[in-house]
Amino acid sequence: MPRSAPIEGHHFEALGTNCSLFAVGLSPTRLLEAEFWVRRMGARLTRFSPDSELSRLNAAAGRWTEVSPDLESLCRESLRAYEISGGLVNVAVLPSMLSIGYVRPLSAGPPVATESAFSPLPPLSDVLSVRPGAVRLEPGAGIDLGGIAKGWMADRLCDSLGPNALANLGGDLSARGTGPAGEGWPVGIAGATVLLREQGAATSSVLKRRWGNDHHLIDPRTGRPASTGIEEASVIAASGVEAEIIAKTALLLGPEDAPAYCAAFALAWWFK
Amino acid sequence: MRTAVLKLGATALTVATTMLSALYVTSHLKNPAAPLQPAVLSATRGSTVSVPGGSLTLGPSVQPSDVQPVTSTYAS
Repeated sequence: MPRSAPIEGHHFEALGTNCSLFAVGLSPTRLLEAEFWVRRMGARLTRFSPDSELSRLNAAAGRWTEVSPDLESLCRESLRAYEISGGLVNVAVLPSMLSIGYVRPLSAGPPVATESAFSPLPPLSDVLSVRPGAVRLEPGAGIDLGGIAKGWMADRLCDSLGPNALANLGGDLSARGTGPAGEGWPVGIAGATVLLREQGAATSSVLKRRWGNDHHLIDPRTGRPASTGIEEASVIAASGVEAEIIAKTALLLGPEDAPAYCAAFALAWWFK
Repeated sequence: MRTAVLKLGATALTVATTMLSALYVTSHLKNPAAPLQPAVLSATRGSTVSVPGGSLTLGPSVQPSDVQPVTSTYAS
């Protein structure tokens, strides 16, 4: 059995969820710095604070807005997610979120729907434009970066934490290197353990962030909370953000089409 | 006269080379049934692992383990 190198672990709450960072051969101070980065990014990307960079972008819909390189990169990633999901992962979901009353963190109380009429989301490429250093949303459009941001941040953390690290931001995982025993990072998925090497994992679900009959995961084809026959999908893919995109797409596709989609794009998958 | 000889020689050389090449190629036809060299693995469809509430499908690049996981993916 291979000898395991000691793992430095660090756990904290941020982004409205639990986060964990692991690394081999890294100082606790470096992991603490990474936590501060997560908190700074969370403050910039939350839609629940009117002062966040994301909220300022949403409020400026209709004109070009200067954005940080991180937000520009996330917007480009969102456009890519829209493409590879066939339009199912659409971050222009904010108007629907507001319609179902999801205007504050669930810890502050259950949402109360403000509208009963819902409409399909517009194609993302019609409402979101990106150029170097600036982003434009069409009037009336708004974006919520949600899980894409967590997967993207997990990937960025692993880029910065050295050659042998694992980041878990609320279930969105990214792994670099060979792990503590040289075989990969042992990670739980759907009750089993797998070894991740230069890969990511994510779970998309309608069972969490749920109130009454509604939940937070909007189907862009209807503008309503999704109901496809899959309640939860866990996926392993080439990166954290890739896993997040594929898991959400699989859930939105439903049980008939999700297996074929995952066979084409994922490295491992599980649905219920 | 000398130019004509040179042209004739070049033409004969070209024709001879073409004919010899054609003969060589037709006598060394590619065998479509020949095995790939070097041998390659056939694509695998992946394996499945039974888990509570269904099965986890694993592609060839994901390895299962019985080691205690350091963390898990979950819905949040």
